[in-house]
Amino acid sequence: MALVDLLLVVGVIAGVYSLLAIGMNMHWGDTGLLNFAHAAFFAVGAYTSAILTTPPATGSLATRVVGFDLPIVVGIAAGTALAGVVGVLIAITSVRLEGDYLAMVTLSSAELIRLMIHNEAWLTTGAQTLKNIPRPLDGAVPVSYDLFYLVLVWGIVGVCYLLFTRLSRSPFGRVLHAIRENDDVPLALGKNTYVFKLKSFGIGAAVAGLAGGLWAHYVYAISSIMFLPSITFLIWAAVIIGGAGSYGGAILGASVIVFLRQITRFIPGDVPFGDQLSYIRLMVVGLVLILVLYYRPEGLLGDAERLQAGTSE
Amino acid sequence: MTLLEANGLRKTFGGIVAVDDVSFEVDRTEIVGVIGPNGAGKSTMFKLLAGFHTPDEGTVMFDGEDVTERPPNERTQRGLVRTFQIAQELTGMRVMDNMLLASQNHPGEKVLAAAAKTSSVRDFEEDARTRAEELLKFLELWDLRDEYAGNLSGGQRKLLELGRALMAEPELLLLDEPMAGVNPDLTDRLLQRIMDLRDERDMTFLVVEHDIEAIMRISDTVVGMHDGTVLSKGTPEEVQSDEQMLEAYLGGEV
Amino acid sequence: MVLDPQLVWNGLVVGSIIAVSALGLTLIFGILNFINIAYGDYMAAGAYVAWAVNAQVGLPIGVAIVAGVLFMSVGSVVLDKLVFQHFRTRSPITLLIVSIGVAFFIRNLLRAIWGPSGHFYDLPLEASPSFVGVRFSIEQVAIMVTSLLLLLGVYVMLRRTRVGIAMRAASDDRMLSRIRGVDTEKLVLYVWLIGGGIAGLGGIMLGLDAQIRPNMGFTALIAIFAAVILGGIGDPKGAVAGGYTIGLAQEVSVAVIPSEYKFGVGLVALIVGLLTRPDGLFGEATR
Repeated sequence: MALVDLLLVVGVIAGVYSLLAIGMNMHWGDTGLLNFAHAAFFAVGAYTSAILTTPPATGSLATRVVGFDLPIVVGIAAGTALAGVVGVLIAITSVRLEGDYLAMVTLSSAELIRLMIHNEAWLTTGAQTLKNIPRPLDGAVPVSYDLFYLVLVWGIVGVCYLLFTRLSRSPFGRVLHAIRENDDVPLALGKNTYVFKLKSFGIGAAVAGLAGGLWAHYVYAISSIMFLPSITFLIWAAVIIGGAGSYGGAILGASVIVFLRQITRFIPGDVPFGDQLSYIRLMVVGLVLILVLYYRPEGLLGDAERLQAGTSE
Repeated sequence: MTLLEANGLRKTFGGIVAVDDVSFEVDRTEIVGVIGPNGAGKSTMFKLLAGFHTPDEGTVMFDGEDVTERPPNERTQRGLVRTFQIAQELTGMRVMDNMLLASQNHPGEKVLAAAAKTSSVRDFEEDARTRAEELLKFLELWDLRDEYAGNLSGGQRKLLELGRALMAEPELLLLDEPMAGVNPDLTDRLLQRIMDLRDERDMTFLVVEHDIEAIMRISDTVVGMHDGTVLSKGTPEEVQSDEQMLEAYLGGEV
Repeated sequence: MVLDPQLVWNGLVVGSIIAVSALGLTLIFGILNFINIAYGDYMAAGAYVAWAVNAQVGLPIGVAIVAGVLFMSVGSVVLDKLVFQHFRTRSPITLLIVSIGVAFFIRNLLRAIWGPSGHFYDLPLEASPSFVGVRFSIEQVAIMVTSLLLLLGVYVMLRRTRVGIAMRAASDDRMLSRIRGVDTEKLVLYVWLIGGGIAGLGGIMLGLDAQIRPNMGFTALIAIFAAVILGGIGDPKGAVAGGYTIGLAQEVSVAVIPSEYKFGVGLVALIVGLLTRPDGLFGEATR
């Protein structure tokens, strides 16, 4: 594959991950919520859109019964909305819990959702791949499809960046930041912190669902193995490395992570440890995360001053 | 005219009775001081009034309404506002943002309005800024408005704590040991501020304090607690000379 | 409703694995005060080292088990010195995320060395005798026996040895134990030695019962965490009780719900536990 084509593909992936990171940043960077369910929101968005836009598979080996033939825009919109709803539902069970408990409950909920996707083949094709997901404007664009999709995804990333930054700087964002700093103070100042947490969860989950929909229609075949908790952890790494609290940081961190993972595509020919390269890449991610946390805990674009305010030196 | 009423409040933790049959009233524009030795139950009683604990028995009435079961945020919305004993400044937020946070019923706190940045949001924010500016100047914190609250000195944090509570436009302000850890000079200024606020803005106060002198200076009524009950209630002079209170303080330095 | 004894037996076996693993985790969690996501990968590493000694080098399973446990015991201390020690003063959230990094590293190292597919231990006997209608396998019996011995051993250690008593004190109140003169760094060393070793053993037992795969530890982690939290963080007997509860519930549930969802039982137990008994089964959570 030509270098340019490779770059386009990696660029699309980076865009999708950036959307995921934007959602995570609202949860963690703005509100201080330890959300470990992100992969589930991604999956809900992807599968909802896929199921709504793909008629049931026919043939003797077909397992999926449910399918529709709705327009892609409807599918993606529905995926976004449903992911948001799932986010709120998970939040209802968990936001009143302390940090670590919240983490475990969200992690477990996400696994449960993935289990359902994996098992309910009548709905999702179960363990097998859900194929033939339509690509928007397939064959109708004068340029390379990957280029078109790159522009599409990053255009959406741009819009989300503006939207989320505005929310973060608004009075709504101010309440979220207060919740992040101290749970009691916003409560004492008249804010219904429970509802704010639910909203934060829902909005962040929705944009993850949007990412899922965009992903599904690009790769045109999905299976439950694409939505493991390791995705959640990678996005965490992205947000931390990029700088929690900064949406630009989230996008940068996501791009760095994607680049680290995909970098070996650009290495030509046979290299020693070629088979293990994909694992070595992830080992590097782990190392980078630890190093960043040690040397630069505010991440690449984070606010060091904010992190250190109030700590005695 | 009664603004706040505590009726027969009782609260136990495990087997320990922290507050037992506590009743008193606070009238509008009154300053009520609450004193008592350590372990008297002042802190628990305070939290019951503020909504951070729910009583086992008894009620809390505010402005004629039963707020006993209401969570803290709903009490604040009704004008019953508290401060924290250890100043809970939001370290990672700037002083001005700490203040703006306290504005009530801000349309910009709704997601859609915030996203659209409607004119009503912008106007409300403008007004809130103006009010915050006035309060910050009143408390002599205006120069620090862009500092991260975590970088403030102890005394400045106390003032910010007060400023934030005032920003919430309270009818009754519950002050939790506002003088704790504060130097005498600042104490004087704070006390003066409290009385000014009562005189100029018709505010009502309930102050829990260890600094007996301070309480005696500003309070109209003093409630003396010991072992979870109200031992003495009356004017500062009455409570000061109450023998039971003197005993409670073990050798009476009231 | 009559309980199928086979399911109960399976539940006890799975429960043993979870109980042992949860015990190690609760000791670490209770004293070091952060969620170590890499714990599951410690378990996997122990299982893999034992496998390598057993199937690749060719030594008997008993030797392999000792090797695996020792490796993780020492390995945990090494990891602490290399990584976690440098974050001792940071917030628990930071440590959690650091542990994510460590988890990434270990899991992919295992994949890089031994590949992504599953392995089985090389065991001498293949018999699966029956008794009162319940089928036992040698592995299951070995797991039960080892678990009971370990639990007894740890119980004695916590109650009778100086180290154990210090551990319990530190779990209850870190500040207080520092004042009383408990050498914190030495205690941390012991916690990792013991907790890490237990993790290795738990991983080996998991490998005996199921299969050795790179993400085996992580898959079990949810149930193990559920057991720790259900039992009350820092409470060793709570972790054990929680482990057996979840193991039994999980296996017995197969009678009423589709078996693919039995892992959901852990989640439900966790949520129910947190809502009804936030201080753990015995009310002795130290956090």
